[in-house]
Amino acid sequence: MKTRFDVAVIGAGVMGCATALFLARGGMRVVLLDRGEICREASGVNAGTLTMQMTRAALIPYALRAHDMWMNMPAWCAGGDVLATACPGLSVAFTDAEAAMLEERARIRRAAGAPIELIDGRAAQAIEPGLADGVKLAGHCPIDGFASAYLTGRAFRAALQEAGVTLMEATPVRGIDGRFVLDTPAGAVAAQRVVLAGGVWLQDMAAWLGVTLPIKVLINQLVVTERMPPVMRTVLGVASGLLSLKQYANGTVLIGGGWQGIGDRTRGGVAVRSDNFLGNVRLAAHTVPALRQARVVRSWLGLEAETADALPAIGPIPGIDDAWIIGSVHSGYTSGPYMGRILAQAILGEAPELPLFPIDRLLHQRSNSA
Amino acid sequence: MSLRIPNVARPAPVTITVAGVPIVAHPGESLATALIAAGHWRFGEGEDPTRPRTAFCMMGVCQQCLLRVDGRLVQACLTPVVAGQQVTAA
Amino acid sequence: MIFDVVVLGGGPAGMAAATEAARSGARVVLLEESPAPGGQVYRAPPAGFEMKPDRDRQEGDALRAALAVSGADIRTGCRVWGLGGGPLVPEGQPDAPFSLSALGADGAPFTVQARALILCCGTHERIIPFPGWTLPGVIGLAAATILLKAQGMLPGQRVVVAGAGPLLYAVAAKILAGGGSVAALVDAATSGEWLRALPALTARPDLLAQGAVWRARLLAARVPVLAGAQVTAAEGDKVLSHVRVGERVFQADALCIGHGLVPATEASRTFRARHAHRPEDGGWVPVLDAAQRTSVPLLYAAGDGAGVRGAAAAPAAGRLAARTALHDLGFSLEHASEEDAALERARRTGAAMARMMALRPAMVAAIPAETIICRCEGVTRAEIEHAATAGASTINQLKHFTRCGMGPCQGRMCGEAAGALLASARGVSVADIGFTTGRIPLRPVPMASILGDFDYADIPVPAPAPI
Repeated sequence: MKTRFDVAVIGAGVMGCATALFLARGGMRVVLLDRGEICREASGVNAGTLTMQMTRAALIPYALRAHDMWMNMPAWCAGGDVLATACPGLSVAFTDAEAAMLEERARIRRAAGAPIELIDGRAAQAIEPGLADGVKLAGHCPIDGFASAYLTGRAFRAALQEAGVTLMEATPVRGIDGRFVLDTPAGAVAAQRVVLAGGVWLQDMAAWLGVTLPIKVLINQLVVTERMPPVMRTVLGVASGLLSLKQYANGTVLIGGGWQGIGDRTRGGVAVRSDNFLGNVRLAAHTVPALRQARVVRSWLGLEAETADALPAIGPIPGIDDAWIIGSVHSGYTSGPYMGRILAQAILGEAPELPLFPIDRLLHQRSNSA
Repeated sequence: MSLRIPNVARPAPVTITVAGVPIVAHPGESLATALIAAGHWRFGEGEDPTRPRTAFCMMGVCQQCLLRVDGRLVQACLTPVVAGQQVTAA
Repeated sequence: MIFDVVVLGGGPAGMAAATEAARSGARVVLLEESPAPGGQVYRAPPAGFEMKPDRDRQEGDALRAALAVSGADIRTGCRVWGLGGGPLVPEGQPDAPFSLSALGADGAPFTVQARALILCCGTHERIIPFPGWTLPGVIGLAAATILLKAQGMLPGQRVVVAGAGPLLYAVAAKILAGGGSVAALVDAATSGEWLRALPALTARPDLLAQGAVWRARLLAARVPVLAGAQVTAAEGDKVLSHVRVGERVFQADALCIGHGLVPATEASRTFRARHAHRPEDGGWVPVLDAAQRTSVPLLYAAGDGAGVRGAAAAPAAGRLAARTALHDLGFSLEHASEEDAALERARRTGAAMARMMALRPAMVAAIPAETIICRCEGVTRAEIEHAATAGASTINQLKHFTRCGMGPCQGRMCGEAAGALLASARGVSVADIGFTTGRIPLRPVPMASILGDFDYADIPVPAPAPI
């Protein structure tokens, strides 16, 4: 054991990276470990949607601040960039039932701080000429946008190194002994504090500390088209949230929305389901008819974590001093960097700008074996 | 001189139009063949002049020869010539 | 209906596999992308075309004829895009029948299900990039054989033929026979390499004789043959006009160039079969047992897609895969395995040729920095090496750092060179940087074709997340 770090962050996704970065900038000696490569799970393969209209109401204040961070990423991330682009967002309803859902959800989100206005189909088409006819009602949010999520690892990597974070990729932590010695194939890694930031694997990580934290695994499918001429200029979804659409500067259109594929915690993303692939692209083509001109080149899967109440797990781990957790944030990429920032504030002994999401509410049982 | 090898029996030629200009081709041969035989090696300009659309692998893999036929996106190497096709850039 | 066996790919291995399985009484469906079965080597010319049949054509016709009467359901001109079933099931569930979603020759979508799947997906060409390789007029060597043999078409009036392997001499000879001229033949292999391959080639005197005829034709036509050489640049305004080989410049209107064949493993990767990196087999290949089984139950692979051994060796491998599949499905087979010495000879020769066509690291090392590697996305060698320095350590991570391999061909053309460059820059083996994850669609598919007719109300939109 060569060095004892002030803190070991386990899991190099967007939340682990942001937490590690801000802890290092706060003066701590930080080691960031990942069993694979930086931001190669959900943080690197998600749809990059930076929208308030798919964000849970309770997270809107966080997502608004994170939106600002994404748009200005090079300024706080040592030049690291995910090509975040601000644009209007629309959430549309094609049926009366969807319109009712949209009205209710827009009202709740507006109350939480998202500047969403309801407009008719014609007004929505003025904002998004690519939108299909037949829209009964649309939620319009001027603060919206998207990023190229696949760039996230590259964007964080240089900043982490500049901040002095020891990044250990391809280094799976197998367990935690005592307070806190991490068992890895590269040898033991010792740290004063530990932060669990392992996405859908948080359940396994919590178990190392004797904590039972059930985490549900969502297997989200994504589909991308070949480059095509401009067909849309907004971030577009449907009232149910089961569609996200955006066209990148290079002309590719990313189709997401959380249709489920096959996979699990053990095997990861196993396969894209052809029937859900078809359902997802049909919904996309119904919403932006010009997509019928596209060719689909690729689909993939991202694993999203969800707690029992679908709200985040961010805060201290009860009963274990200096052990922290961060993750299970719905639409977690959108809010991710801000969540990392406020957890880092708490670990550094400062008052977080906004409240954390302590996990006491989620713990059914707990042993004190750690 | 034609690139089509002599002593090969072919169906009678037909006319297709490429970017509005008629060319003669044999039904059944691939559009890639027809275009190259007519002297059209560049199938479309794309975004980078050093990487235009063109035929390369001839077996449906490289995706470089994408074209529109009667408005539909097709791979020139996999698409047989049919009389009257309107071929435009992808 | 659930078929017993679906064969994906109608080249020599696939034709033989489907024929063998159907003859044995199994319900078999064969899915092939081209308008007719045959594959690349045995590709048939379009209907209504008649050209002097060569030996390949005759062997292909024999396989086609046997397939036609085998009772297999033959679906040509179809584009398979969706793969599912088999091991691709939710946790704890038993394996499902294999399920393949496709577009028929008429454009209509269909799905076939089968208990066993035999992958006979063949290869695509390896191109080690060089300056100007994206210029129109530069095509693959295998591409040239398709033009010459299946389209009755010269790639150019004056052609440079370059690369590695026996295809070089076949293409050059066919260009001459078709009335074209060959400006130069540029062989990456030295004469010493050919000499070392000779013992394996003597197993196939027919091929040796064929090779001798080809070389005699080149000699008679006074074609310059440059051994141990490589193209350094393809140049021209808008289209190819000349080819540089070191100090020498050859005027040419076409350059046919290929550096070997790469097994097409998209499907076996999608089904998560175990793969190994074997340069002598062409690169990444599914790991097979002696009877063509992959690591996934009831999933088999045969032919060049399972490791390059050439068209002559493929039918026997296809038949073996079919017999193994039927055995595993519980069929009682009348005849046992009867593979003969000819197969062993074909395999031996094929292996020698595959070694000749294996990736040449020195050629990769010589790629100039500003050369485009990924032509879909315009990624250069310098960008790949910069990404390696910036921390990209696997091929999947390289995609994220550079977009290399994220375009329409999904890394099929650039993957080999990109992998070798990344491995070299990281100082590790290609096996260490891994292969790209296999995902559907198997080929790019036009959205309009797969959408079909649907009502909005019938889209099975899942329940929304909580607010």
